[in-house]
Amino acid sequence: MSRAVAGPMIAADILKLRRHRPTMATAAALSFGVTGLYLAVILARHNGQLPAPQALGDGTSLMGLYFGSFAAILIGTEAGTIDLAAGVFRDLAATGRSRTALFLTRVPAAIAVALVFTLGGFLLTVAATFAFHGPTPAPGPGLIAGSGGWVVLATVVITALAVGVGSLTGSRAVTLTAIIGWQTIASGMLYLATFLGAARDLVLVFAVSRFLPGPAIGTRANPGSSNALNNLKLPMPAVVAILVILGWLVVPAVAGAWRTRSREA
Amino acid sequence: MPGGRERPDAVPVTTSAAPFIIETRGLTKRFGARTAVADVNLTVPAGCAFGFLGHNGAGKTTVIRLLTGLTEPDAGTIRVGGRPLAGHREEVLARVGAIIEEPRFHHHLTGRENLWVIAAVRGQLAQRRIEPALDRVGLADRAGDRVGTYSQGMRQRLGIARCLLADPQLVILDEPMNGLDPGGILELRRLIADLVAEGRTVFLSSHLIDEIEKTCHAAAVIDQGRLIAQGPIAALLGDGGSSLEDWFLALTSRVGARS
Repeated sequence: MSRAVAGPMIAADILKLRRHRPTMATAAALSFGVTGLYLAVILARHNGQLPAPQALGDGTSLMGLYFGSFAAILIGTEAGTIDLAAGVFRDLAATGRSRTALFLTRVPAAIAVALVFTLGGFLLTVAATFAFHGPTPAPGPGLIAGSGGWVVLATVVITALAVGVGSLTGSRAVTLTAIIGWQTIASGMLYLATFLGAARDLVLVFAVSRFLPGPAIGTRANPGSSNALNNLKLPMPAVVAILVILGWLVVPAVAGAWRTRSREA
Repeated sequence: MPGGRERPDAVPVTTSAAPFIIETRGLTKRFGARTAVADVNLTVPAGCAFGFLGHNGAGKTTVIRLLTGLTEPDAGTIRVGGRPLAGHREEVLARVGAIIEEPRFHHHLTGRENLWVIAAVRGQLAQRRIEPALDRVGLADRAGDRVGTYSQGMRQRLGIARCLLADPQLVILDEPMNGLDPGGILELRRLIADLVAEGRTVFLSSHLIDEIEKTCHAAAVIDQGRLIAQGPIAALLGDGGSSLEDWFLALTSRVGARS
């Protein structure tokens, strides 16, 4: 597929997503809305000031692990299922364009849209930490860049996963339930299942969290941090985390592409 | 003319040397134990309106899905515009526009945006055809409205505009009259005649025999997955003076009784 074809196809997939008001409104609520609410609560609790490093860490987790990632899952799922749900997949396939190309263009489109929300929510936190840091130091550029980079990584991985699973199942409900259930409840339970040892490294959330700047929740380096925003960090070698993340990117993508090719349109 | 019915002017569909836009050989499709399409040898001459007749469930839509590469045959070959579909889907279907069953759209997008979504997949030339296609089907004024607000007839017209993005040699229309009011049907008839006058082939699948008779020059009949007749309509009817409807019902009941 040439760039001249891929560009408009990705733009078309972005158009389908950004014009879908319920999805955009929900994603905005999950990212900007939740971040705004979080900042308002912390500001109220700390007399109009933000404990900057912790607020940045929590804001980063909110976007990469929690509500921001739900927005990314929603957008990825929508991208993976929107043509099927509308019955337009048949017409796209009847153009003769390779179905693999139809699948592949969904991924960057969904990521581009999801990043608007997760990075937007993160930047809102950054702006707030500068505006309201009070006597505590504002976060440094290294920490901001590292945290922002991590939000991008987490968004890319979870959105691509949602596009792949959405294209595989063809069902919004199944995809949303499966991914959100896995990422939150199942992964949260596995985090506590210490008897599994290194097998837990295979869980996507733990592999992605490996690169989250800052120490793990509950460690001596991070006393008094919020357990409500557990950053789900496990000690694991970086190379293992990278391989696990690649696996979670490649396997759903291959499955989604296969199903897009083999599906009766 | 039998029954005093209007018929389109003759086109050279009777010429055996006419190039065929569609040729299938031994086309077969099974769904489990059921054979939906059995050993179909269909030849559609280029540059005419060709009717594809059959009762509901006879296999019309399955043949169309096979012709548009939406499903793979279990046996047989398909050639479109002289080229085999197998292995050349992208090139072959680049100049084919199709409405399969009912036209579907993203309801949250406007008519123009829906065309743009398909044009983006078809390529740059198709993007330049969006406005002329909207003009041609009379939707230019409503192109900025969301498709969710369109009537059934407007969606059919938008579906035809979507076909035109391909600058098609072959336009496949599956039950295009469904949901159209009498004015819409007349408009569609005129549009089909115009497309044929431009040298395109219109493959019109319908169970509305009257419409096929009024619109098409040649036809094929499928019944229980088997092709039981094909040729110029005048030749199919012979000198019996019957209407296409009478002939079709007699033919399919004969075949049904035999099987």
